[in-house]
Amino acid sequence: MAGIYVYSDRFDIAAELIRFAKETGKEAAAVSLDEGAAQQLSKLGADKVYLLNGDSPIAENYGKAIAEFLKNEGADLFVVGATARGRDIAARVAGYLGCGMVSDVSSVNYIDGKLVTERMMYGGAVVQSEALKGLSVVTIPAGKFEAAAKEGTSEIISIDVTADNRVSMVEKAAIVKEGADLKAADKVVCIGMGMEKAEDIQMAKDLAAVLGADIGCTRGIAEERHWLPVEQYIGISGVEIKPQLYISMGVSGQVQHMFGVRESKVITAIDTNEKAPIFKSADYGIVGDMYEIIPLLSQALKNI
Amino acid sequence: MSNIIACYKWVADEADIKINSDLSVDTKKAKGKISDYDRNAIEAAVQTAKILGGKAISLTFGNAKSKQSLKDALSRGVEEGYWVNAEEAINADGVVTARALAAAIKKIGDFSLVICAEGASDTYARQTAPRIGAALDLPVITSVSKLEIEGNTLIAERKLDDCLEIVKVQLPAVVAVLPEANSPTIPGLKAVTAAGKKPVIEFKSEDLGIDFVSNTEVTETKGYVMNRKNIILSEGDAADKVKELAAALRKEGVL
Repeated sequence: MAGIYVYSDRFDIAAELIRFAKETGKEAAAVSLDEGAAQQLSKLGADKVYLLNGDSPIAENYGKAIAEFLKNEGADLFVVGATARGRDIAARVAGYLGCGMVSDVSSVNYIDGKLVTERMMYGGAVVQSEALKGLSVVTIPAGKFEAAAKEGTSEIISIDVTADNRVSMVEKAAIVKEGADLKAADKVVCIGMGMEKAEDIQMAKDLAAVLGADIGCTRGIAEERHWLPVEQYIGISGVEIKPQLYISMGVSGQVQHMFGVRESKVITAIDTNEKAPIFKSADYGIVGDMYEIIPLLSQALKNI
Repeated sequence: MSNIIACYKWVADEADIKINSDLSVDTKKAKGKISDYDRNAIEAAVQTAKILGGKAISLTFGNAKSKQSLKDALSRGVEEGYWVNAEEAINADGVVTARALAAAIKKIGDFSLVICAEGASDTYARQTAPRIGAALDLPVITSVSKLEIEGNTLIAERKLDDCLEIVKVQLPAVVAVLPEANSPTIPGLKAVTAAGKKPVIEFKSEDLGIDFVSNTEVTETKGYVMNRKNIILSEGDAADKVKELAAALRKEGVL
């Protein structure tokens, strides 16, 4: 069957991608590697659900099998949820198909029958638009579309495939989050390299306590100074946040970091350097010494 | 002696990129650099070679300007620097990049491991390692936060969105390392001097027969505007500035 094929290792994203596929007016098919997931997906109004059966517990090991399946079906587009696993699978499928792929799109549309995408480059400083021809692969992050509504029951077609078992699982464990889930935080206080000593994090914690905020940091604080766990750094290779309020102290605003905060409703920056790039991307800013400003701010907000 | 190949990209330093008032993007004055995350790939190759044996080498696909990257890569500890020199690299997408790197890897021939970063600091598309794996039909492990070698087996810790996985594979294989996999050392004077004496091997696209045709076409590149209020309080007494900020945040309804 021609049309759009959707895969995500996360059900919520798969539901959003099915919605996108259906809205294009093309045939919409969901691909699943797991019987339970296939059952769930079959309630979302896709034209078909394909269950690919193999003997590996690692989804990535089905890259080649998915590529062959899509080729046999004459698919137009393979849309994958942009999770760590999804990006890997998508790029392998594109690799085996030798076809074009656009990663982590911020928008995707068919315009006059042509597939057109937008994505960020240079850590969010630049937007690149692309047009794709022929069978293509696109990865889409969570939250770009509404989830498909429950609707009927799709036919589930089961197909036996061969997994690539050269990579095998030794052990798997859930990640125990040391800090807060920043992705879901309503307010974030962010520490940058302008902070002089690890003990000074207390100052950020005091402000966070007044605000009911979570603490985040830049990559340097987590990976160079090891003051906070890597799960807490914000940016293109770290966490992307979307709080109501983001307040930074001593953050210069490198593009990789700003990529991770661009969805914040209000961006507030405190830094000594008037020329720091963060002020160009901020709603509010104070040029000043954080060691003076932050305690005053904590006090002022306590009194509001 | 088997090679451990670190792939890297010579990119424009995003700090030097200028967005003009008409939103056009000016990269002419931008200095080049080895993509930040690729420094972790190079470091991983150097460290792995010490355990596995063999030779850590680097490989890049770039135009004439990327020649200057070779000394930088060599100063980071690899023993030989390979370079696919093609002007087409500037507009290469994931397909073309993987074709070029895979063709060079085939030409190099004797290798046990190919190490990439998850993504480059300009595009951050995260396609290269899986695509090289597909092109060479090799096993791939991405999102690697730790790498161990036992005999001819690679054991990797993968850090995914919600879980840690330990997986293993017989070499040869392709891996993509996360920035947290190691801390690259900053090359000292001695390393930089030594780099000048290390061999550089250049491939031309004709040598490799690379197909530069791709089905993705870049239709527009423009600066991203983050529409923000830009109310920056720079003058006056700290207490007054704080008071003003607190009042503004209250008015925004975000407290």
